[in-house]
Amino acid sequence: MLSRVADCIYWMARYVERAENLTRLLLANRQLILDAGAAGGNEDAFWRPLLISTGDEEGYFKLHGEVTGDQVSEYLAESRSNPNSILNCIRAARENARMIRDQLSDEIWQCLNDIHLYLGSPRSSRQRQNDPNAFYEQILTASYLFQGIARSTVCRGENWMFLQIGTYLERADKTSRLVDACSGLPLTMAPSPGAAPLRWASLLHSCSAYSDFREISTKPDPVRILDFLFLSEEFPRSVRFCLNEVDRALIQLRPLQSRGATSDPLRESGKLRSELDFTTVEEIIQEGVHQFIDRLQTRLNSLGLSIFQTFILYADLLPIDAPVAATAIFPGAWHDGSGEDERQQQQQQQQ
Amino acid sequence: MPVPERGETFLIGPSSAKYRHYLLMPSLFQDYAPESFFDEVFSAPGQVRPHYEAVVQAVDRMTPEEFASKQLGADAAFLKQGVTFTVYGDDQGTERIFPFDLMPRIIPSAEWAHIEAGLIQRITALNLFLHDVYHAQHIINDGTIDRESVETASHFRQAFRGVKVPHNIYVHICGTDLVRDDQGVYHVLEDNGRCPSGASYLLENRQAMKRALPNLLHSLPVRPVDTYGSLLRETLAHLAPPGVIDPVIVVLTPGVFNSAYFEHAYLARQMGVPIVEGRDLIMRGDCVFMRTTKGLVQVHVIYRRIDDDFLDPLVFREDSLLGVPGLVESYRKGCVALANSIGTGVADDKAVYAYVPKMIKYYLDQDPILPNVHTFLGTEEAERSHIVANLDKLVVKAVNESGGYGMLMGPTSTEAERDEFKRRILAHPRNYIAQPVLQLSRHPVFMEDHFEGRHIDLRPYILSGEQTKVLPGGLTRVALRKGSLVVNSSQGGGSKDTWVLWDEEDPSATALPNV
Repeated sequence: MLSRVADCIYWMARYVERAENLTRLLLANRQLILDAGAAGGNEDAFWRPLLISTGDEEGYFKLHGEVTGDQVSEYLAESRSNPNSILNCIRAARENARMIRDQLSDEIWQCLNDIHLYLGSPRSSRQRQNDPNAFYEQILTASYLFQGIARSTVCRGENWMFLQIGTYLERADKTSRLVDACSGLPLTMAPSPGAAPLRWASLLHSCSAYSDFREISTKPDPVRILDFLFLSEEFPRSVRFCLNEVDRALIQLRPLQSRGATSDPLRESGKLRSELDFTTVEEIIQEGVHQFIDRLQTRLNSLGLSIFQTFILYADLLPIDAPVAATAIFPGAWHDGSGEDERQQQQQQQQ
Repeated sequence: MPVPERGETFLIGPSSAKYRHYLLMPSLFQDYAPESFFDEVFSAPGQVRPHYEAVVQAVDRMTPEEFASKQLGADAAFLKQGVTFTVYGDDQGTERIFPFDLMPRIIPSAEWAHIEAGLIQRITALNLFLHDVYHAQHIINDGTIDRESVETASHFRQAFRGVKVPHNIYVHICGTDLVRDDQGVYHVLEDNGRCPSGASYLLENRQAMKRALPNLLHSLPVRPVDTYGSLLRETLAHLAPPGVIDPVIVVLTPGVFNSAYFEHAYLARQMGVPIVEGRDLIMRGDCVFMRTTKGLVQVHVIYRRIDDDFLDPLVFREDSLLGVPGLVESYRKGCVALANSIGTGVADDKAVYAYVPKMIKYYLDQDPILPNVHTFLGTEEAERSHIVANLDKLVVKAVNESGGYGMLMGPTSTEAERDEFKRRILAHPRNYIAQPVLQLSRHPVFMEDHFEGRHIDLRPYILSGEQTKVLPGGLTRVALRKGSLVVNSSQGGGSKDTWVLWDEEDPSATALPNV
């Protein structure tokens, strides 16, 4: 498989997963506000955490002076100037798919193209304002459809491995970010119906974990929630589960790894996985939830970079002393328009 | 089995007198006027040409609403599947569908045999010409074509003289534009021998017809076009360096921002080969490799869809971000093959075009089967004066533009435009040619709730490999603006599916076609 194709598949999967997580976060927050009663009137308290957990605070305040529910939802869902908005994530996923259209089933392509066309239409904006649940559910459905079609149409070769790696790395990152938004809350059980249990419940909702968690605990005990979202072996959105999947895909890709590679993603993912396999939630709390997440994210990033260098950049083809920073911008997958390159591409006469 | 909708099923009977009477006033065609043009469907008002009878009958059984809804359905399918081209200069990355008209254009088998023979004759001569001008230059030395016309062509590559190309084929994929005049005679309007595009739309148009009007398609002996992918692959495989049994073929695209990216990906998929960008390729020694997750894989044949100028920054434009440094040297040494070859643009230069009938005579000692459109050259003094004096009656074309750009449509031009062209022609006579305004043939095109006549052309695709083959079909392009003679998609053009019929007298046509 062409390295660039692998890169596109990886990013296509990441962007779809990113859009899905963001959608669920927005949906869960709307529920939270409705459940919070009068307290829900404090828009800043309920919407700022979303900007923090998506890392979009800075971009948001470049455009807006204050935090309001309408503006935050608009910014995260539909803004063209927010590179991480749902609309732009779907666009990026679809552009990556377009680049490798010849490698994808028609069904996968049409699924992404449909949701892209929907988001670009005036109808979607109207729906988001008049019937937000329907809007968000449309996107969730598209993501589930994407996963389902992929499961039933993609050969379990390299395509599938890179799809898995993209999906699960992104999911591990997003689950940890969502937890991080609650990391400042007290970990003891507050008497219901204080705001804290609602937030923890909302966290479960935004991770699609509410009903699964209820099977192991009837009360939203923060410690057990952390345990579930970080360390569950079975729940498909827990950080541990995601890293197991990444590791499994990397093991299958192993024969591809070149001997001269400067980094070894399998070693990194193995270390990360075994740490999660043998860590307890108490140890995480002792380290500090936020600190743990910080460390985890650094390692996820480094794993992503190492995968890129090994399979995409094909690092052993480069001069050994080539600085990584310079090569890391090697344009592979589609992210956003790119000046001179774009101009020359357009210049080519097609008679 | 679903109940056939009204308009979908019909019988084709012998064209009885009774039926003909009925055909005199079909409702969708009620006010259809062929006017003074050559109309593909109607030989006179209400008189349907025999090969169109079945289609006209079938279409006429539909109400305007039914036909319109089928048309909308076809448009929606194109958008959904991303059969689109990118509109430049729009930062939203707008993609448009290439407007498609459901009523097919039909070419009877005898007419097609004539076209096919003419196209094969022409491409044979053009390939001989290209070999000649890049080697011994007999045609120039014998005085049949002047040296200046050839060597000042902007796509002539002096640096490429003396290079041996596989099997001496230069243009492997050619898309020749044909038009019919007011008598219905086919003329060659231009040869596109660099990177002809549009084949993907031809194939998708047929798919659209299969969805929208399956029974109609089934009822006529229409020759299939979906062999194009495998024909193209065969043509390319033929170029592989000697000894390579299972060559690695790739499509080299400028990238996703090119308007024709859909086509590049589509053709790669039809052939089952990878689509690559320049940055995916890397030289090792004299050979070209692609970077894969498993390491480097050697590439033998490149179907390139980027211009000569951008192929190799070491030889052509050094600021090219799209090419592969060292590619041309590798091609020269025969380690990799390119389709089309380098420098083929000299054969589709609009001034060199005027000499093609002479080339056919010179190399093949034959008369051209398909005539040229009469062409006045800016370089010939008498012809230049004629051009300048008759700007309001002629079409003036810049010799190295395509896509309908750099053109002056005399009869519809303004005084200021004509003055501007006059200035340019006198300043750079080599850059311009002029032709009489041809009243292109017309074809009914569906407009909201009825049919109107619009001018059309035809672009068949000719593949030169071990044998030269013409795909039985082509892209029929339509000038959708009323009265317009410009069919290019960049200038408001659309397209139609083109049905080439089997010869029903031919016993081989009734057997399963050899596909």
